[in-house]
Amino acid sequence: MLPVPPPAPADRQAVRHRPRIGVVKFASCDGCQLTLLDLEDDLLAIADRVDIVEFAEATSRRSSGPFDILFVEGSISTPEQVEEILRLRAVTTTLVTIGACATAGGIQALRNWADHDAVRSLVYPHPEYVESLATATPVADHVAVDAELRGCPISPDQLREFVTAVLAGRRANLPDEAVCAECKRRGIVCVAVTGGVTCLGPVTRSGCGALCPAFGRGCYGCFGPRESANGPGLATWLERDRTPTDVARAFALFDAWSPPFRRVIDAAGGPPGPIDGSTAKEPPDA
Amino acid sequence: MSAVALAPIATNRAFLPREKLDVLLDALRDDDRTIIGPIVRDGAVVYDEIRDTTDLPIGWRTDTAPGTYRLEQTGGTRAFDYGTALSTWKRYSHPPRVPLTTTDGDGLVASVDPEVPRVAFIGVRACELAALGIQQRVLGAGPAGDADHAARREAALVVAVECAVATSTCFCTSMGTGPEIDDGADIVLAELEEGFTVRAMTSAGERIVEGLSLATATQGHLESAAEQVATVRASIGYPVATGGLAERLRAVPDHPRWAEIAERCLACTNCTLVCPTCFCTSVAPTSDLDGTTGSTERVWDSCFTVGFGRVAGDANFRPYVADRYRQWLTHKFSSWWDQFGSSGCVGCGRCITWCPVGIDVREELLAIAPPDSPPAPIPWPLAPARGHAPAPVPVVEPARYVPVEVTAVGRETNDTVTLSLATDEPALLASRPGQFVMVARPAQAIPPISISRLRPDGLELTIRDVGPATAALTSRKPGDRLSLRGPLGRAWPIASAHGGDVVIVAGGIGVAPLRPVIDEVLRERHRFGAVRMYIGARTPRDRLFVEEMAALRGRTDVEIEEIVDRGGPDWLGRVGVVTQLFERASWNGSHTTAFVCGPDRMMQATARTLAARGVDPSRTLVTLERNMACGVGVCGHCQLGPYFVCRDGPVFSAAELGDTFTVDGR
Repeated sequence: MLPVPPPAPADRQAVRHRPRIGVVKFASCDGCQLTLLDLEDDLLAIADRVDIVEFAEATSRRSSGPFDILFVEGSISTPEQVEEILRLRAVTTTLVTIGACATAGGIQALRNWADHDAVRSLVYPHPEYVESLATATPVADHVAVDAELRGCPISPDQLREFVTAVLAGRRANLPDEAVCAECKRRGIVCVAVTGGVTCLGPVTRSGCGALCPAFGRGCYGCFGPRESANGPGLATWLERDRTPTDVARAFALFDAWSPPFRRVIDAAGGPPGPIDGSTAKEPPDA
Repeated sequence: MSAVALAPIATNRAFLPREKLDVLLDALRDDDRTIIGPIVRDGAVVYDEIRDTTDLPIGWRTDTAPGTYRLEQTGGTRAFDYGTALSTWKRYSHPPRVPLTTTDGDGLVASVDPEVPRVAFIGVRACELAALGIQQRVLGAGPAGDADHAARREAALVVAVECAVATSTCFCTSMGTGPEIDDGADIVLAELEEGFTVRAMTSAGERIVEGLSLATATQGHLESAAEQVATVRASIGYPVATGGLAERLRAVPDHPRWAEIAERCLACTNCTLVCPTCFCTSVAPTSDLDGTTGSTERVWDSCFTVGFGRVAGDANFRPYVADRYRQWLTHKFSSWWDQFGSSGCVGCGRCITWCPVGIDVREELLAIAPPDSPPAPIPWPLAPARGHAPAPVPVVEPARYVPVEVTAVGRETNDTVTLSLATDEPALLASRPGQFVMVARPAQAIPPISISRLRPDGLELTIRDVGPATAALTSRKPGDRLSLRGPLGRAWPIASAHGGDVVIVAGGIGVAPLRPVIDEVLRERHRFGAVRMYIGARTPRDRLFVEEMAALRGRTDVEIEEIVDRGGPDWLGRVGVVTQLFERASWNGSHTTAFVCGPDRMMQATARTLAARGVDPSRTLVTLERNMACGVGVCGHCQLGPYFVCRDGPVFSAAELGDTFTVDGR
């Protein structure tokens, strides 16, 4: 997907007249929605300019649409969700996916490599009551997406910038560049080159402000691949002194199912620690 | 020590005993300066504020390799044996973020004046001095130069320290930048076990050194200093064959190695951001929620990002990583010579050390542009910049925004309007056909727009709505005000067509920058022979200046023909591409000057067709669209081979462009 496109001309008209905003979720932890609530003072200023008509985390007011802007959290993991996202798309002008689950499938997409029934048995005492799809997939696999905010969770700064830009009628400044660019601008010492730390920064989209490297940790890649992300290029370098399994483990996290990361994981024969159902819990006694 | 050739020893050196290094720092602080120098942080030497000598990396040595950097405490007393730091001085001379514009009390975009601290840099290496010099030439070049950088350099006193050790990634010797220091610093130190030899190189440096009341360095001190730098030179050798390198690189735009590097290269931008001479930036806007006020800042960017080659309509000149690596390497070692009269590389080795996958520029150069003869040192300092003449200096420094008023808004098509702007700004009124302006509204990105008519009281801009920034302009009403910076760029050399025939070829919105040419040619019709115009558009509804074109068709002293890509029920004219209008014409082009503007592919095809008609490539003039962000050749966005399109163009002859015009991904 391209980085955030400019609002279509219709949107620019719409935003002049108190846009109707919705926030919905699918398979996810709600953390990205909480980022919206964490905007605090800014959220009040935003709420003055828009009608938040659907946001179950924040208000009991509900709406089934239409929406000028709809923020969608979570991956598509059940048959009902497939139908619901199609319905929402039809009543939404600008559909924005937020967070690694919605944009890449999330951590739950690790099940896409495994046997579906085995995974269900592993998690649920009575899998026969659970209706789910064999895969957890990003929203863009099902409907057209107009913009995406990455991360696990999303960055409050990027969310603020996105909302501000939409309301002001300008293109949001969400650069599609590596985390390395933020490290270098901030003067953070490279943890990979000085310490040999496994860092996905070079193939991961910036936007977090290089949060993990600022604390001496390698980037976990939670913002997912940037454009032209050369996952295999980084993996080849890392495999000089790591096993392919260890390298794949680094990629097999929140954005594992994104194609550039998936290539690395597939090359290692799938995510390390295969879920084969052998460790499934026994149903508890009634 | 090994038997190495010793450089001639200057005799006017003082000696600073090690325990008196703090006295030097005090003197710099007494000169009202914040001292910036090397410190150890998080496993690397970086530049930061120095309070006293204990902040310096005393006893630390560095082991570097491609993609690897390790610090080691040796327990020694020397403070400057750490090789090269991760930081570069550009963090202070050309910082990662600099405010550019704000919104003034009238709700208009206004330039921000630089606010710079008074600093002293201590520990500057020979390669870094060369880099500071290159940066001064880069950011000081062009019609305006960069005021922020100029102020920062003016406010910095430079204390250099000659290298006593080299790391495995150093190659200053090949680039002619070191390790000896001859010029470019205010004070030069050489660190010996017992202290420092001190040379004041400027009056500012002399003032500081005189205040220290130092003894003269002994012959022994001077010999030791000369011997240790000679040892550094010998240990590095000459790993890069620089003789003829620029030409060799220019000759291989299609080398298979570019694609092969792209499989290893992560396009992560590290090499460019740690490079002491890379200067490219982008402009980032911010705004309030209402879009009534906003500001922009200049942010370090890199030719390795996808956004860097992107222009309006999401076209991209460098979509592939292979294109971007080629741009970086050929710019650094080849087209930099055309632009600034030197190499852009100083041989500090940071791009090798800090590449997260260890790509070694020395190896890549050897593979892509192997030398005809063994590597040898090159002279430094180099001859003054060559290259072609910059644009004429405008009356007013074009780095500042001035307000103009919209007096009329004419709708041309569904998505295109012409704004008439009134101004009494002398610089804007002195604009020439072919020049462009940066057009700013609060809270919006700032697009470059070519001037579509020059008027006694102002100018006209014809703008197509291709995104929010242009929509904010096409939606203006009479009485609104905008901020303009310009005029920028090189104009059409219309006078060079005097006495001959004129051909004007336009495609789509490309007719806008040609309209002032048409105006001038018609106004001075007697100076030209035959005048022929060929105008193309996507559809009949996309034709611009329809009434003016109709009026031209009524004239007997010009020929004008139009064509559209796709016709319609109302279109009785020709359908096809614009070159079809003249590829079988009867005229001979040997006395013709052609003025051409349209999409790149259209201009390439037009240039070929004109050449076949006998038009000399030096008389086929085109105007290019690139991602101009600064307009004065300091942001790097609009580079095309040896040129900055904003400053050296946007008007070029086909002869000047040569194959840089036709190689994809440039």
